[in-house]
Amino acid sequence: MMPLAGYLTISVALFCIGLYGLVQRRSLIAMLIALELMLAAASLNVVALTTLAAGAAGGGVARQIGAGHASSVGQVVALILIGVAAAEAAIALSLFVAIQRYASTINVEDLSELKG
Amino acid sequence: MTWGTGLFWVSGTLALLGAVLAVGLRNIFHNILGFALALVGVAGLFLTLGSDFLAMVLILVYVGALAIAMVYAVMLSYPLDTKPEPRRLPKVVGAAALAMLAAAALFIVVLGAHFVAGTGPSETSAAWVGRRLLSDYVLAFELISVLLVVAMIGAVMVARKARMPKAPLQRAPRIIG
Repeated sequence: MMPLAGYLTISVALFCIGLYGLVQRRSLIAMLIALELMLAAASLNVVALTTLAAGAAGGGVARQIGAGHASSVGQVVALILIGVAAAEAAIALSLFVAIQRYASTINVEDLSELKG
Repeated sequence: MTWGTGLFWVSGTLALLGAVLAVGLRNIFHNILGFALALVGVAGLFLTLGSDFLAMVLILVYVGALAIAMVYAVMLSYPLDTKPEPRRLPKVVGAAALAMLAAAALFIVVLGAHFVAGTGPSETSAAWVGRRLLSDYVLAFELISVLLVVAMIGAVMVARKARMPKAPLQRAPRIIG
């Protein structure tokens, strides 16, 4: 079993790669991909912390349901995150198709109608 | 090296490599493939944490559904024969600096925190996840189902072609008696 720091390091790296992509890319779909990477990093963080660390976050729950099953709470949170991410991505992709139909581009630098 | 450690290193490498491919390549299809690779790596990391059900759900939802939906969105929206525009150096440098800054801040927080080692993964995780979802977290479970239905209907409504009336609306002739 790897130590917690390994998981947290990978999570930080994934998050920052996603942040770089979100800022640097200009296509809306590429920005969505980067955003989903950041969400995956967050859920990895939640699962790793609830599985491998006891303490402030997991302590009460672990006492309540038995120490071995505190990680199931983190897994439930990660499942909910996946569900929200899926709903968000469905809406976002349909918006991109609508934007493409309206403005003939999904390059964010060309979508500047609201700029004053 | 045990089985879990090997899986950890392989999955971590896959996740980071996939993330770099998903962000760094120019072709949007290659980006989507890199994204799928990164999510397979994250699922492997979930496996090493004992979250087998979560790993399978992640692969199903992200790689199976989301990547396919992204490919559809690309095919519906991109002019596929145009060359991508060149990158602007100041923007790349600024984005990299921002990401590095965020990474440094997060590393300071993460490595400075003191975590008490827990008990490690349990054996029967899927059964416990199901029990949690249908007892303590049943409200969140139901809300997610409602959210998914609303998102699905909303996506259809947003993406379908708005039906413009071809001719001006014809009113029913009023009978003036």
